[in-house]
Amino acid sequence: MQYSLKMQGIHKHFPGVHALDDVSFDVEAGSVHALVGENGAGKSTLMKLISGSLVPDEGSIEVFGEAVRFRSPAEAQHHGISMIHQELTVVPERSVASNIFLGREPRALGGLFIDYRALNTQAKALLDRLDVRVDPTVPISELSIAQQQMVEVAKALSYNARVIIMDEPTSSLTERETATLFRIIRDLRADGITVIYISHRLEEIFEISDRVTVLRDGRTIRTDATADLDEDTIVSSMVGRTIDTIFPKREVEIGETILHVDGLSGNGFRDVSFSLRKGEILGISGLVGAGRSEMVRGLMGIDPVDGGSIDLFGQPVTTPRVAGMMRRGFAFVPEDRKEEALFLGMSVRDNLVVSLLSRLFRSGLIQYGRLGEVTAQYIDKLRIQTPSQGQLIRNLSGGNQQKVIIARCLALKPSVLILDEPTRGIDVGAKAEIHTIIGDLAAQGVGIIMISSELPEILGVSDRIVVMKEGRVAAQLDRTEATQDLIMQKAATGGGS
Amino acid sequence: MRRTLSILVSLLLVVSGFAFAGGSQEAGESAAQEAAESGPMVIGLSVSTLNNPFFVTLRDGAQETADGLGVELVVVDSQDDPAREASNIQDLIQQGVDALLINPTDSDAVVPSVQRANQAGIPVFTVDRGANGGEVVAHIASDNVAGGEMAANYLIDAIGGSGKVVELQGIPGTSAARDRGEGFNNVVNDTSGVEIVAAQTANFNRTEGLNVFQNILQAEPEIDGVFAHNDEMILGALQAAEAAGRADQIVFVGFDAVDDAVAAVEDGRLAATVAQQPSEIGSLGVSTAVTYLEGQDVDSYIPVPLSLVTQ
Amino acid sequence: MTTTFDLGALFRRFGLLIAIAVLVFGLALLSPQFLAVQNVLNLLLQATVNAIIAAGMTLVILTAGIDLSVGSVLALTAVITADVLQAGVPVVLAVVIGLGAGAVTGLVNGLLITLGRIPPFIATLGMMTLARGLALSYAQGRPITGLPDRFLLVGTSSMLGIPTPIWITAVVYGAGMFVLRRTVLGRYIYAIGNSSRAARFTGIPVRSATVAVYVISGALAALAGMILTARLNSAQPIMGLQYELNAIAAVVVGGAALSGGEGGLGGTFLGALLMAIIANAINILNISPFVAQVLQGSVILAALLLHGLSRRNQ
Repeated sequence: MQYSLKMQGIHKHFPGVHALDDVSFDVEAGSVHALVGENGAGKSTLMKLISGSLVPDEGSIEVFGEAVRFRSPAEAQHHGISMIHQELTVVPERSVASNIFLGREPRALGGLFIDYRALNTQAKALLDRLDVRVDPTVPISELSIAQQQMVEVAKALSYNARVIIMDEPTSSLTERETATLFRIIRDLRADGITVIYISHRLEEIFEISDRVTVLRDGRTIRTDATADLDEDTIVSSMVGRTIDTIFPKREVEIGETILHVDGLSGNGFRDVSFSLRKGEILGISGLVGAGRSEMVRGLMGIDPVDGGSIDLFGQPVTTPRVAGMMRRGFAFVPEDRKEEALFLGMSVRDNLVVSLLSRLFRSGLIQYGRLGEVTAQYIDKLRIQTPSQGQLIRNLSGGNQQKVIIARCLALKPSVLILDEPTRGIDVGAKAEIHTIIGDLAAQGVGIIMISSELPEILGVSDRIVVMKEGRVAAQLDRTEATQDLIMQKAATGGGS
Repeated sequence: MRRTLSILVSLLLVVSGFAFAGGSQEAGESAAQEAAESGPMVIGLSVSTLNNPFFVTLRDGAQETADGLGVELVVVDSQDDPAREASNIQDLIQQGVDALLINPTDSDAVVPSVQRANQAGIPVFTVDRGANGGEVVAHIASDNVAGGEMAANYLIDAIGGSGKVVELQGIPGTSAARDRGEGFNNVVNDTSGVEIVAAQTANFNRTEGLNVFQNILQAEPEIDGVFAHNDEMILGALQAAEAAGRADQIVFVGFDAVDDAVAAVEDGRLAATVAQQPSEIGSLGVSTAVTYLEGQDVDSYIPVPLSLVTQ
Repeated sequence: MTTTFDLGALFRRFGLLIAIAVLVFGLALLSPQFLAVQNVLNLLLQATVNAIIAAGMTLVILTAGIDLSVGSVLALTAVITADVLQAGVPVVLAVVIGLGAGAVTGLVNGLLITLGRIPPFIATLGMMTLARGLALSYAQGRPITGLPDRFLLVGTSSMLGIPTPIWITAVVYGAGMFVLRRTVLGRYIYAIGNSSRAARFTGIPVRSATVAVYVISGALAALAGMILTARLNSAQPIMGLQYELNAIAAVVVGGAALSGGEGGLGGTFLGALLMAIIANAINILNISPFVAQVLQGSVILAALLLHGLSRRNQ
């Protein structure tokens, strides 16, 4: 068996973190090898070592039997290793062909001028080899993300790549585009090219890969033929324990109505009415762009509202403002964690208590003892993995960051908690924990509004489901009657009920 | 009816005015010559700003001399704005003045205006501040080198012919700092027994004069005199010496004779300050232009003497 | 997970302090005058004006803002204070009027930025020109010289052998550090600088906190102007030209990021101190004015390089 890549006893330290701890990783030549693991398991670090962006502290790397020590991505490329990043690195205003041969354009007249004819012919040949029908002369910004990705593959081939690393290539592709990408991956494999495929989506891994390596906490947990594995095995290898139920729905006694929203309108949503009861989890479903996030932002007083009424505990709320809504008992976990919730350069403690400060310290003076107690309490309660309260939050994994944001809301002791896509981009383990937290809160009588684009999550967690379409409520479904098909039908075609 | 007529007439006038303006571009040179041949001489004076009393006095001096020589003087104020200066000078050229006295807002920004006057065949004289391009017949300005020498001679006398002196310099590279420093150093270097123990810049600025001289006082236990390239710096230095209790051991000489400095001279805190004579600058500007227009040669640099303000 | 001894972190934290210590040591070898008690006091005294302005600038920059108006505000408040003093207003009241005028310009800056939605750079650039123009017209372009002795004490007196301006600076920094570390406002300032959008989503009073930092900055510029006026016994409408750049340099040399959320007053003080040390050393060593600027520029760039490198090693 020939190996395109053999890594032995790899160690990599960052300040305060042992990112890779004795990792071994062997990839058979001409195979599709999947690499999976939770966020922070060490996948990115490992790939950076392979593609030359980082140098290992210890351990050996062999490429097709030759011991190597890459000091730059260019060296790795020279050895036939190319990486296609999740965020594509194209020059938008340059043509497809220029992007493929950036800095290596064929020259004419003694190297003074770019030979555009040769450039476009060579680019066309590469694209034809991938069976991608794209005009090499158009600016790359006119292409879809999927097409741009194909161009990146063509670029890798132009370097005579023998190993192509793809980091979450399907994260922004449609199903049909994904199918095209998979066809190309299979063609590459048929040509003897090795593909290392990183993805969160287990079903894709089963569809495309020959072998799977699971990383956890910087260690190799297992490497097996994909055919010998099933989804549960991979998930439990990733999280280190078995996950019984992804959505543990608890039976909670639902109490009186606490929130009544009537005819709420604003930018992106119209005439939205619903009510929420004590201990109830109200799921909000709909397609992207249906006005769900806009609606809850209006409800929280972040964006202006131009009509409708909000009654909380029978009291009307006029012209809501965020701070005022929080005082009245609302708390909000926004959709975009990085942009809307996190203070990346601040500590875990500062992030956790930020909404609580004005309530805890009326005088404006902070007592750190109090803050430490509150923070410790929630770190413990939500099992937030952090070396210390003073750790910068940017060093935490996505799941733990999200738990800090939820803790920030819980510290306010809310009666209504609004969560917008609370588990997006979070690994399976943390996701289950967040669902448990939501269930516990409902059991304590908190009314919960949860937006999610993931239908199994909506169906598993919600008591009642509001389906939105084009800024309006298209349907309200009870958990007993709701199915994925019914929700999709209401979300796509509307039809009041 | 009469009303309509008068409106029509004024409209006509405006239109013909436009036509005249349109045609005057090439007519500039001949207009200038014509004007020179007929009627009294007209001299244009563009002043950088009349918000500063220095330039008001300069204008007054120019006016007085013009009146005395029977020359018409047209004064325009640039208000320290190079754009306004350019259009003001354009207007003067348009009017066909016989000579242009320019006190530029900026030595570089004025160059295109000088060139435009050159094209129109109008002789250009710069006063107080020079131009970095174009053809200038003569530059009339204070003789800063002589001023520096004057200050040095006074200072050396005041400290008794020998001792340690300090020079506080202006913004490095400016012509005022260069010339005043040159004059001062010329004299001091030729005088045995007088030593410059520190020469530091305080950027023409009173606060920096204070801080820089405070530091120099610290470094030099013995200082007999100090000359600053302007009064702002010497006033700051004076403040520093007074705070350190060493003001009465040191002779202070400044430059420019600003109000605060003249007051300090009257109080006996400041020994002397060199005064420019703006009125003389203006006057020499006009008389030089007239001399040139009358067909005589003039020097390309006309230094204007300075005076010393003492108690 | 193991924690290794982190030299980088140590350097990040104390790099500037170490650099200053090395510089002082070298200068002391070059000139025995340098570490004389009187010179150290001179040096601190000369650092005070920039240090006080830079303290306000630090708060502003922490919110990812900038205040270009401080130099002009210093001049405006100085001529106002000097004028009311000459008109016979009691010293304490005159000081209050001057500080109030500074705070008002800061308030206007803050409102332009928050309610007017004008970027801080533009809003304070406008105020920079406006305040300078007001100062020039208020004083008719002339210095206002000759102030009551009691006012001059602000700049010229000493307590326990240490000049009063140094005490004032110490109080400003003590109070500033207290605000940043121990008050809710301090946490808000850092949060806004980290992400003003997240701050809004979190219920932080972004507008009032932003206005507050510009008010503080304006008032501190006024305070610095009073010290300067008292030391010179004169207020001039052309005072404080380019002081905003000196203050920004001190803040950035002190390790703050112009993008906000990162930095602190300790670093800023060291930054202001470093700049004063260089200016002082140039005079003490009688270095040529042409070379002096090269030195000043190089030292500032070297300090920034130090931060840049230690940040990259993070």
